[in-house]
Amino acid sequence: MNREVLVDGRGLLPPEPMERVLMALDLLRPGQHVRFLLHREPYPLYGILENRGYTHHAHLLPEGDYEILIKPRVISR
Amino acid sequence: MLGPGLSLEQAPPFSVPLRFFLTAPLFLIAAGLGAALFPDWTAAPLIPATLALTHLLTLGFLGMAMLGAMSQMLPVVAGAPLPGVRGVAWVSHLGLLLGTPLLALGLYGGQTVWLAVGSILLGLGLLVFLGAVGLALMRAQASDTTQAMRLAAFTLVVTLFLGLGMASWLIGFWMPETPLDWLASHVLWGLGGWVGILVMGSAWQVVPMLQLTPPYPPRLTRWLWRAMLLALPLATLPPGPWNRAGQWLAALALIAFAVTTLRLQGQRKRKLADVTLDFWRVGMVCLIAAALLAIGHSLQALPEAGILLAGLLFLIGFAVSVVTGMLYKIVPFLAWFHLQARAGFKPGQPNMRDYLPEARARGQFRLHLAALLCLLAAPFLPPLALPGGLLLSASAAWLGWNLRRAVRLYQQAGAAVNSNRGMSLSFRF
Repeated sequence: MNREVLVDGRGLLPPEPMERVLMALDLLRPGQHVRFLLHREPYPLYGILENRGYTHHAHLLPEGDYEILIKPRVISR
Repeated sequence: MLGPGLSLEQAPPFSVPLRFFLTAPLFLIAAGLGAALFPDWTAAPLIPATLALTHLLTLGFLGMAMLGAMSQMLPVVAGAPLPGVRGVAWVSHLGLLLGTPLLALGLYGGQTVWLAVGSILLGLGLLVFLGAVGLALMRAQASDTTQAMRLAAFTLVVTLFLGLGMASWLIGFWMPETPLDWLASHVLWGLGGWVGILVMGSAWQVVPMLQLTPPYPPRLTRWLWRAMLLALPLATLPPGPWNRAGQWLAALALIAFAVTTLRLQGQRKRKLADVTLDFWRVGMVCLIAAALLAIGHSLQALPEAGILLAGLLFLIGFAVSVVTGMLYKIVPFLAWFHLQARAGFKPGQPNMRDYLPEARARGQFRLHLAALLCLLAAPFLPPLALPGGLLLSASAAWLGWNLRRAVRLYQQAGAAVNSNRGMSLSFRF
């Protein structure tokens, strides 16, 4: 099982990138995370991820695209 | 996905922009029927039929669509929600809905009672909306788009007061010394200012986002709104070299915007067929042609058919085309977004293409193009007013049908979501 699920939303029209990444998150198995590539930073997605219990880390790639790593939030007691 | 500064969490309820978007095509249908039934508009720009039809187009179609778009864009793009948005939308929509046909009737028939009631309703509706926009824009995040929105709102205030001034003249309250200068300023601030600046400011956000073009050069966007800020007051001065310089500056700014938009659209990352792009390309070509005719008119007065041609290029070729293109992006996107939000962003909901199949929008685009070509020729060949007007009505009816179909799908899918959660579906307009 791959630990990383790649979702490439570069060059897709809105809201297809958001549809794809949310679908990938719904199919995620324990231990997996999503690596999401997009041509701009997906600000509106962040609030949705927060509400649904995911953490995210965004990086600007050298070619100008964004890489966002999305993982289920670990609840520690 | 949206870009920096864009937040959908601040978006107003769907019913707020939707009431404007669904009403707008009705006025375009009316304008088309009017153009077919009263072809004397092809004779001159300043006769009752032309004035009535122009206001059905500018207030009824463009005004409705632009108020709806502004109520949606201000919170999302500028982080500035309209205060009391439901009440403001209700009052301003009603003001435009009732005031526009009454004003058009008054302008056509010359009955002062309709002119007066129409002007009061429009004045109240627009002032309530502009008051809320003013309050929202005081809190807005600074950007070139925000500055363009501020300037556009200010130009609408000026247009409104110039229009109310002329209505009170027609009713008989007073007599301006130079009524034609008043009229020229009303047209300049309404079309070049409100329509031109609002389309530019919106395009800087939505063209790169929804048509996947490179961004507009920041140096250009900074220059464009400043050029319009300088040009409009200059062009309002009495006839002379400064007035002419203002007209040229405004026309050149609009041409620079249109040429840049066409260039950026040519540099799209993925060259997929997209009917919105075609609406925008037609719109930009017509904007350039209208601006060139305006420059020509300032050098040597055009014949009346030439002035009508410039007006048709700007209003139907440019403004109706780009607004239609944007409605085809905004309405399906909002339907998708609001339904997803209600369903908790779970899979199984309709996607964007389900809301508006490309073939339906493409068919309407062809009809719009046929209407445009007939209407552009009508000042020179008046019998074309009949087919041109009927085609415009048919095209507008098809646009309205396409938008209503998207909303029906939203309601049906929303009802299914709610029945799963034991809720009832209702729109609160």
